[in-house]
Formats: sequence, C-alpha cells, structure tokens
Amino acid sequence: MLTPAWQRFDNGARMVLPFVTTLMLCLLSSIRWPIPFLGTVAPPLALMAIYYWTVHRPDLFGSGGAFFIGLLHDVINNLPLGLSALLFVAAHQIILRQRRFFSGHSFFMLWVGFILTVTITMIIEEILLGVINWHGVPFRPVLMQIILAIVLFPLPCWLLIRLQRAALPQN
Amino acid sequence: MSIRSRSKGWSSVAVISWRGLTQRYLFILLMLAAAGLIVMGRVRPTTIDNARIHAIDTIAPVLDALTRPVTALGHVASNVTSYVNLRSENEQLRTTNTRLRDWQTQVVALERENTELRRLLNFKAEPGLAYISARVIADTGGAFTRGLIVTAGKLDGVREGMAAMTGNGLVGRVVEAGDWSSRVLLITDLNSRIPVTITGSNDRAILAGDNSSTPDLLYMPQDAAPTPNAAVVTSGHGGVFPPNLPVGQVVAGHNKGEYKIIPAADIGRIDYVRLIDFNLRGGAFNPVATKIDAETRAPSH
Repeated sequence: MLTPAWQRFDNGARMVLPFVTTLMLCLLSSIRWPIPFLGTVAPPLALMAIYYWTVHRPDLFGSGGAFFIGLLHDVINNLPLGLSALLFVAAHQIILRQRRFFSGHSFFMLWVGFILTVTITMIIEEILLGVINWHGVPFRPVLMQIILAIVLFPLPCWLLIRLQRAALPQN
Repeated sequence: MSIRSRSKGWSSVAVISWRGLTQRYLFILLMLAAAGLIVMGRVRPTTIDNARIHAIDTIAPVLDALTRPVTALGHVASNVTSYVNLRSENEQLRTTNTRLRDWQTQVVALERENTELRRLLNFKAEPGLAYISARVIADTGGAFTRGLIVTAGKLDGVREGMAAMTGNGLVGRVVEAGDWSSRVLLITDLNSRIPVTITGSNDRAILAGDNSSTPDLLYMPQDAAPTPNAAVVTSGHGGVFPPNLPVGQVVAGHNKGEYKIIPAADIGRIDYVRLIDFNLRGGAFNPVATKIDAETRAPSH
C-alpha cells in the first residue's frame, strides 16, 4: 500500500508528465543524431507534443508550459528569443478552442489537425523570421521539415498515447 | 470560486470561472511577453544574448547526457559497417599509406630545406596555434538557422570569433561563448559571410550561406570563371580568419554564372570540432600552443 507522501509524489509526477515529455522531445529534436543532415530537417517534436497534450489533456498542459517550451526552443536553436514562445502559445490557444473537433474522432482527424497546426505554425514562423531579420529564409528546408513532421507524426503520437494510457488513464 | 456579474438588459447571470479568466488573461500576457522579448532582442541584443548564453550553459549538461547514448549507438552502427567493409577499406588504406609515405619523404626534404633557408634569413617563427577540441552536443536550427552547440566554453579558453574546423576544413566560427559551452555558426548559415579566394584563378569572392548544404559564392569579378572542383580557401580579408584555410570546392549553381561550394568538411556528420585561435584580433587568449581536450572535462556544474 502506498504511503500518503509517496502517493502525493506519484500524483505530482503524473500531473507534470505532459510538460516533462514535451520538454524531453524539445531537447531530443535538437541533439546531435548520427544521421547526416537530420538537424536541418529535424521534425518539430515539441510542437507535436504540445498539439497532442493540448488536445488530450489541456488541464495538465497550459499556456505557461507552451511559453516555456517555446523559449527553450528559441534558446537552443538560436532563433529570436520569444518567436517560438509566441507561436507555441498562439498554437496552444487555437488548438484548445478546436480540440473537440480533433479529439474523440478517429486518429485520422487528429492527424489532419496536426497537419494544419504544423503547416500554419511553420509558415508563420518563416514569415516572422523574415520580417525580424529583414531578409527572406529559403522555403525548401521549411517545406522538407513540414513534410517530415507530417510523415513522422504517428510515431511520437503512438508513444504519447501509450504513455497517457499507462500514466494518465482518466481524463 | 466564481464571480457573478449582472449587466443591464441581460436576463441571465453570467458565471465566469476564475480558472477560465486567468487562462484567458495569462494567454494574452504570455503573447505580450513573447512579443516584448522579440522587440528587446532587436533593441538590446546584448542583454538577450547574455541571457541566451547562460541558458545554454545550463542546458548543456542535459544535452550532453542525452547525446552520449545516441552517439554510442551511432558508433556501434558505424563499427558494424566498418566490419562489413573491412576488406575494401584495408585495400584503400594500403594505397593511401603508400602515397603518404612518398609525401612524407618529400615533406622531410622540404622541411630541412625550409629550416636551412629560415636560418639564412634569420627568420623569427610565429608562435604555434592554440586549439581546443570540443564535442558537438546539439545540431541546432532546424530549417531556419545552421549552428552547433559544443562542449567547450570560456573556462576552456574559447572566445568569440575563433575558427571551428574539422580535419578537412573550415566549419564555421564561434559566435557565443558561455562558461561551459559555445555556439558555432556554420558556414552554411544564412547569416554567415566569409571572404574567400578561389585557388588557380585567385579570384576573390564572399562565401554566403543560404541554409542549404552548398553556400553561394557572391561578388565575384564579372569575368571570373572558376573551374569546377577548384579549391576555395579563406582570403584573410576582414581579419576574422587567416588566409588559406581550406573551405571547399567550386561547383556550378543552377543558373548561369552562379557558383556554389561543396564544403571540405562533412558538415552533416560533425561529431568533434577543433576551435582554433589565430590571434588575429588580440585578446586574453594565450597564443602559445595549448591543447585542451574539452572532452575530458565533465560538463557538470
């Protein structure tokens, strides 16, 4: 039988699981993988996690989490500080308002939701970065990154589903 | 807890939960904070850069810990491939070894001749170069920027402006140096501009990154027609890099008169870089040959 202190720790750990997994995916998408040129088209794993948790457990992943992950993403990737934070918070808010449409239906609908999210977010990021730096950013790598993110989405999503079922069974 | 508010003309009572209210205002507040940070990054870049360097220093041990098992896995895969290709690789190494022995004989003769000539001229040799080996722990930027985070910082002697090289050629330069880690801007980054010379024709150009794996050669003389595969080296102009550092080879671009380079260093597979101080702008770094292997220092702090 679990002691009250251990139970509190266990509950606490479960509550921070969405944030911790998003943080880990954000770091994993930036580390050096032994695959040539993956870094240039690495899929935005953090955005996948933000999307997933906002749709499925918005009570455990709020705007503050999206903001912090965005700042971390900016710091690691040498982007203007605040850019990804702005986009992730905006994406979180939009997904939150449309979550009933994406959740509770088939996986296909969840995927469609992510396709819209990643495409719009990346294109706005490209435009904003061009405006901030006052010169255009080549679109081809962005397009490659969007395609890779869309194709790979089921894999991290499957892991997050398993994790949610194992640690956060009740909604 | 809830706030009950009545408004004229409304028959029902609006009940707004505190949670919804804070969520709503928090969202707006965070958007404003993010926009404020972007503006501050333009107005006071030094403040933001310092904060960024400290943040990278804090994250570096975590990135390092995450990178180690992935790198080890990569080495296992690489070893398996090596065993498969053992025979052909051995044959290739024998050929290379024979060629290098010939070169060695020539080098020894040239070195002897060089020493003799220097003695005759009473030539004062330049101090050796200082270099620091650092492991790559993050391949950053995604589709928007091209950079690396490496495990060596100011405490190891790294400073901004140092050249980052592999055995094959120039990779980039240090743009941010924290205490424990540094950021290297790759030559392929959109913001990278390096004065270069094309060997053979001696044409000068600016090597400009465009976020692709093949940077552009810009501002070449109008009559310049570099031969394909001509070696491109740093020209030494601008005082950032010394002349004759190998950068890459010329290739023709998609359009007529457009030239690009294939970097000499395999930028897609960099595990270690050598940060070299050419002491071109002076500074606190000791120019006498020092070698600090940052890999041997644990990044824990």
